[in-house]
Amino acid sequence: MFKKLIAESMGKSPWLFHINAGSCNGCDIELVSVLTPRYDAERLGFKLAGSPRHADIVVVTGPVTTQSLPRVLRAISQVPEPRCIVTMGSCPQSGNVFKGSYSVAGPLSKYVHVDVDVAGCAPKPQAVIDGLALATKILKEKREAK
Amino acid sequence: MDFPFVKEAVKQLFSKTSCAMYPAVPSEAAPHYRGRIVYHPELCINCGMCERVCSGNAITRSSEKVEEGEKITMTFNLGSCTFCATCADFCSRHAIEFTGDYHMVATKEEDLLVSGSFIKKPPVKKPAPPKPAAPAAAPAAGAAPVKPRDDGKPVNDPSKCVYCTLCAKKCPAGALEVDRAAKTWTLDEDKCVGCGTCAEACPKKCILI
Repeated sequence: MFKKLIAESMGKSPWLFHINAGSCNGCDIELVSVLTPRYDAERLGFKLAGSPRHADIVVVTGPVTTQSLPRVLRAISQVPEPRCIVTMGSCPQSGNVFKGSYSVAGPLSKYVHVDVDVAGCAPKPQAVIDGLALATKILKEKREAK
Repeated sequence: MDFPFVKEAVKQLFSKTSCAMYPAVPSEAAPHYRGRIVYHPELCINCGMCERVCSGNAITRSSEKVEEGEKITMTFNLGSCTFCATCADFCSRHAIEFTGDYHMVATKEEDLLVSGSFIKKPPVKKPAPPKPAAPAAAPAAGAAPVKPRDDGKPVNDPSKCVYCTLCAKKCPAGALEVDRAAKTWTLDEDKCVGCGTCAEACPKKCILI
């Protein structure tokens, strides 16, 4: 009975971990604005976690530079399964305008399985909420499959 | 005892929330927001300008031979797009449109591709005009290889030209006149300054100077 209660509660409170993989800061600001009272993702249960070990959803911004790649992978590997990886903006999906640069190791999907892509440069806060809602759904499916 | 903010606190408690309440309340993007790309293949003339100006290499063009001519497919990868709208600005036929749709969330990369295709028909060859009446000094119309002129003025290769009118738009002297319907390219030699802007602007590189 408690397990069921915990499973239901966890589905309503997915914690986010935000990784900046060499982003221009545009997407980071949009992600922070999602958590402000204006868009208030916290009313839907989303909360920024300070440590990857506490997180359910990983939000990656930036084109994954060669400097940040080992740190990104290390942080993601610390997130307990089942986890959901969300790429925010065009950069982690394709490299965007930075693709072909000597210091860009992306896209992120070369290294880990990406569950949700939120396109935009930078995406609107509403689009981020859409993406996070989809990620929560995927997370729930993954928990049930486990 | 003094409670300084009681009035403010009570007021805020009963006032409307400042939260946008998305997704319960749907929200529209601001006017001129650059969201999902809509491509109109029926307007496109395959000049390739969008592909050249794209900073994120988000636009790819592929062609395959079909019965009626050439099937051109343009694909816009929204996962690689900066939404700068330079492609739409450079499109002389307004075939690329940025809409206010910002819901671009996908689980697969293919979901973020916007593509469209059209069939480009080969130009209908007109029967050669009767020559004998023309004076002998006039150059033979439609001579096979187009050679650059000696006087530094541009010359057009009609076999490559798509009549996109970009050269006429770019010409600082207004010396070029291109009619897309009639497929004519005329140069006002008196106005032309021989700057080469038209040759630079030509997406097909069919203007020689």
